[in-house]
Amino acid sequence: MQEQLKELVKQAETDIQACVTANDLMNAKAQYLGKKSVLNGLFARMKELSPEERPAFGNMINQSRTQIEALLEIRSKQVKEQAWMNNSNASSYDLSMPGIESSRGGFHPLTIVRREIDEVFLSMGFEIAEGPDIDDDFHNFDALNTPADHPSRNLADTFYLENGGLLRTQTSTVQIRTMERYAPPIRIISPGRCYRNDKPDPSHSPVFHQVEALVVDKGISLGDLTDTLQQFASIMFGKKVGSRIRPHFFPFTEPSAEMDISCVVCGGSGCRVCKNSGWLEMGGAGMVDPNVFDILGIDSELYTGFAFGLGIERIAMLKYNIPDMRILFENDLKMLRQFKGELR
Amino acid sequence: MIISLNWLKKYIELGESTAELEKLLTFAGIEVEAVKELPALPKSVISAKVVSAVAVPKTDHLQQCLVDIGEYDYPEKNEAGYVQVICGAPNCHAGMMAIIALPGSELPGYTIGKAKIRGVESHGMLCSEKELGISDNHAGIIELPYETAIGISVNDLYDLPDTIFELEITPNRPDLLGYLGIARDLSAKLSRPLIMPDTKIEDEYFAKQDLALKLVINDTEKCPRYTARLFVDVQTGQSPLWMKTALIKSGLRPISNLVDITNFVMLEYGHPLHAFDYARLRSLPGDTVPAIVVRRAEDNETFTALDGKTYTLDSEDLVIGDGESPSALAGVMGSEQSGINPETCMVVLESAAFHPGSIRRTSYKLKLSTDSSYRFERHLSDHATDAASLRAAKLISELANGKLCPKVHDNWPNPSQPQVLGIRPSRYKQVIGYELNDNAIMDYLKKLGLKFIQYGCWIPGKITDVAKLYCHHAEEMKQGKTEFTELPDCVHTQYYEIPPYRIDLEREIDLIEELARLDGYDKVPVKTIPRQVMDRHAYRIKKVAAEYIVSRGFFETLNYSFSDSALMLKLGYAEKDPKLDMLRLKNPQSSNQSAMRTSLVPQLLQNLVYNLNHGEKNIKLFELGKTYHKAEGLSYEPYHLAAALCGRIQNEHWQHKAAMINASYPKGVVEELLDLLGLREYTCQPASEPFLQTAESSQYLFQGKQLAYYGKLRADIAQTFGIDTLELKQDIWILEMHLEDIIEATRHLQRVFNELSRFPSVVRDISFLIADSIGWQDIHQEILSLNPDLICELSPFDEYRGKQVPSGYRSLSLHLKIQDKEKTLTDERVDQLVELVIKTLQDKWQITMR
Repeated sequence: MQEQLKELVKQAETDIQACVTANDLMNAKAQYLGKKSVLNGLFARMKELSPEERPAFGNMINQSRTQIEALLEIRSKQVKEQAWMNNSNASSYDLSMPGIESSRGGFHPLTIVRREIDEVFLSMGFEIAEGPDIDDDFHNFDALNTPADHPSRNLADTFYLENGGLLRTQTSTVQIRTMERYAPPIRIISPGRCYRNDKPDPSHSPVFHQVEALVVDKGISLGDLTDTLQQFASIMFGKKVGSRIRPHFFPFTEPSAEMDISCVVCGGSGCRVCKNSGWLEMGGAGMVDPNVFDILGIDSELYTGFAFGLGIERIAMLKYNIPDMRILFENDLKMLRQFKGELR
Repeated sequence: MIISLNWLKKYIELGESTAELEKLLTFAGIEVEAVKELPALPKSVISAKVVSAVAVPKTDHLQQCLVDIGEYDYPEKNEAGYVQVICGAPNCHAGMMAIIALPGSELPGYTIGKAKIRGVESHGMLCSEKELGISDNHAGIIELPYETAIGISVNDLYDLPDTIFELEITPNRPDLLGYLGIARDLSAKLSRPLIMPDTKIEDEYFAKQDLALKLVINDTEKCPRYTARLFVDVQTGQSPLWMKTALIKSGLRPISNLVDITNFVMLEYGHPLHAFDYARLRSLPGDTVPAIVVRRAEDNETFTALDGKTYTLDSEDLVIGDGESPSALAGVMGSEQSGINPETCMVVLESAAFHPGSIRRTSYKLKLSTDSSYRFERHLSDHATDAASLRAAKLISELANGKLCPKVHDNWPNPSQPQVLGIRPSRYKQVIGYELNDNAIMDYLKKLGLKFIQYGCWIPGKITDVAKLYCHHAEEMKQGKTEFTELPDCVHTQYYEIPPYRIDLEREIDLIEELARLDGYDKVPVKTIPRQVMDRHAYRIKKVAAEYIVSRGFFETLNYSFSDSALMLKLGYAEKDPKLDMLRLKNPQSSNQSAMRTSLVPQLLQNLVYNLNHGEKNIKLFELGKTYHKAEGLSYEPYHLAAALCGRIQNEHWQHKAAMINASYPKGVVEELLDLLGLREYTCQPASEPFLQTAESSQYLFQGKQLAYYGKLRADIAQTFGIDTLELKQDIWILEMHLEDIIEATRHLQRVFNELSRFPSVVRDISFLIADSIGWQDIHQEILSLNPDLICELSPFDEYRGKQVPSGYRSLSLHLKIQDKEKTLTDERVDQLVELVIKTLQDKWQITMR
């Protein structure tokens, strides 16, 4: 019987080596270790031996069993590894073919710029305030210290509604509305649509978008304005971009200024975009006129403030080198697709 | 730190109510963790003598006592004039002085009555400390000193009423771990004098002769100072009741007069003391003089502490030894062997300073924390030893009849140098926000124990040479001026010497903090920061909605706000529809831009047409913007999100063919977006927009208001916009969300977590034929309502029409997910439920199972 055992293990080794799939191995296991296996049969025949011989023989059966188990385990590992290898080599993909994407859409470039501006100012501690597009003379002109006979009030410049309202010509209306509701300190930006009675052309649009900033607190000076402007320019257009303000006139600010940034195209050396000046106009700015505070009942001795306005179309056109403002309102998918990856 | 108000009042006058004191302490920076009022007890709770105590038969612990209450008037005394009380306390014995609460006495929490216990009458109760509310001790009844007179009110005995404050002392203020420190802070805060304890020892309490002692400090870094006072003729015994009361209220157990005195002074001065039995001190080898040696332990040296445990030490541990072995683990715990015992008559009183890190290390390593180590590891000054020692000496002389030996052994090789700090009043204003004048600053700081040196110019950094501080301010002060000339290079500064117990005051800013704390944070003027004006919720909803729709493949368009009623008519709106009641411009640029838009749809359709004409096939466009409506005031300008789409669901891909858009797609967009924004409780019905094909459109209502809709554009309407859908071979789909209304509907939504079921769920599938007329919404609701607790999910996974399905019918296949929150489901219950579902559907809609 001992010879039989040896023979059995030898046979098992050959058979197990011949297994190539997990299934083969399962069958081999059943054949050699299962209930109906020869090994099991030998156990039953133990009683044929004398009691003295039994323990030694029992040991031998167990050893054979352990051997077969080990063989199975080694082979099963090999089979698995082979299967993994086959799997990883099975691919015959042409990896240069297009992958599966989610067909994501994209934002309008004006939204991209507006949201970037939002983020810059939110990170500087500004709040975002909104107000109605349709407003009245008081919020659009009177409260902004605009004289009654000021040309900007003309029908040729401002859209009026039959119900007596007007379409705001700047989002300064929101500044006035915020100062009406909240006592200083105030630190807001007001993004939104504005309207001016201009015929659409490469640099004009009757509907356009603006972001205005307003800061009112004790001890606010023109220096706060220049620093805010510089920080905005650096984040929006890059660290190397410089900024400056130069004297100008607006009814609602005193002193008033135009804000320039160094040309983002030529870096200030002069080019077609900046008309060889090295500077690009960004918008109007200034210290809030004390008259504006007085109209709103804010102590103009105690509080000072600055305000400035930025045109979103202009920034988008500069940033993306868009030559004609009208392109922005055509909503051509070929244009829109270009900005798919712009908003992070 | 647990303090008794009555005790605290010995060092400062306090007339404030408990609530006022609590506020006062809190705003002085000492957090009050708990306040416990100890009320005055009734007159019927008095001292009494237990005359006899005999066991009550058949009980194991009850005793029948006769108690002498003296002259106190109680109607049910026995013939001998005693009161009979049953007492179960193990320490109750004849001859003891106890406290009795006679029937009718209201104690904290309950009223004492007359009772019959095991058939024996009991007139009242002999009380434990816990029963009187003065501590948690319930181990036995109170045993008053034998000399206590009978009939004394418990209020007099225990100094009641009283208030107990449990204070949280921050680790930087070890000086507040004593009554005097707290009183000193209050004295500065309230501008009241601090009353120092009596330390004057009468002549008669001085011993005629000294006891010999050899005091050696081997490690002056770990022990910078050791002050020892020696006493003879000491009589050990019990402390007087007032001291026991004080200790009990502060959470310590009275032990004997000497130990109690060291504990009492520790609580008073915040400086732990230790008393040794002089007679047990052995001399150094080859010497005869009893010795105290402050030294590092030997590695593996063992020490058996008072708690009975033996600790193994190393050379970083500091021990106080005699000439032979350790008598105490320095600053942590003494030993049984060297301690005060009933035979003690000569005492060495230790008052020392130890290195805080060393004590902390030892305490942490041995897991042995004591009132003493707690204080030392927070750093106690070497300057503080003598005052505490002297105070204890005074008490030993008074309460233990000890005679103080004239020689004070004070080993103090390198006294720490007092810190000098400057404070600029101008800096105070800069940091705290308001002005505090010279005098106010000086008042506060002097009350805290700081010593004013002089005025001077501001010198940054550590002051090492006081002489250098001299400047013209000092001169002006000498001349009696109170206003000082400000010179450009001289910032007006006050200089102080910091008392050694304030180890936390190291920089100018620390003094500024002290001043702000004492003058009150409530005096700091509030500086306003910019107002919050942003509607963050609206901002977020708009952002989430836009980002979602972009993620679904839509491109954003922006159109002018102008429109025209003709466009709305083209969309199929009736003349009288409110959408045609538009805000009209007085000076429009053209007739098709003559009014403010009331809908985003027409322009989106124009954008779609534009792009179709430019060769695009798969188009998904949206706009998020305002519409403008007539309203009270000038206008109402709600935000909307609308989209127009046609073509394929996704970009074509070589592996996966993308299906054409059908109703499922815009429906999925609308419903997922509503879900994303938090809206789930809506009703759904066919949309009524005139440009939509009713059969393939739906609208979503919340509280009766339309929040969103989607649907297929009618072919005839498409035609008016120049789109021939037949030629195009595809449909145009529209969807719109009323963002403004969604913003309001979701403004106060609160997501609530649903408890997860810990039991496995079971999924069963059922397939059946059902008439086309029966919608999924109804089927879904019907099944769900059968057992909403068990059916947690119901989703269709297949729909089939065609071969083998009679016309007018469809085959539906559903996943039914079943889960019980309380227990594991049995097959039987699942089967029952599935059968119920099938039966219900059969009865109601005559379905055929497949």
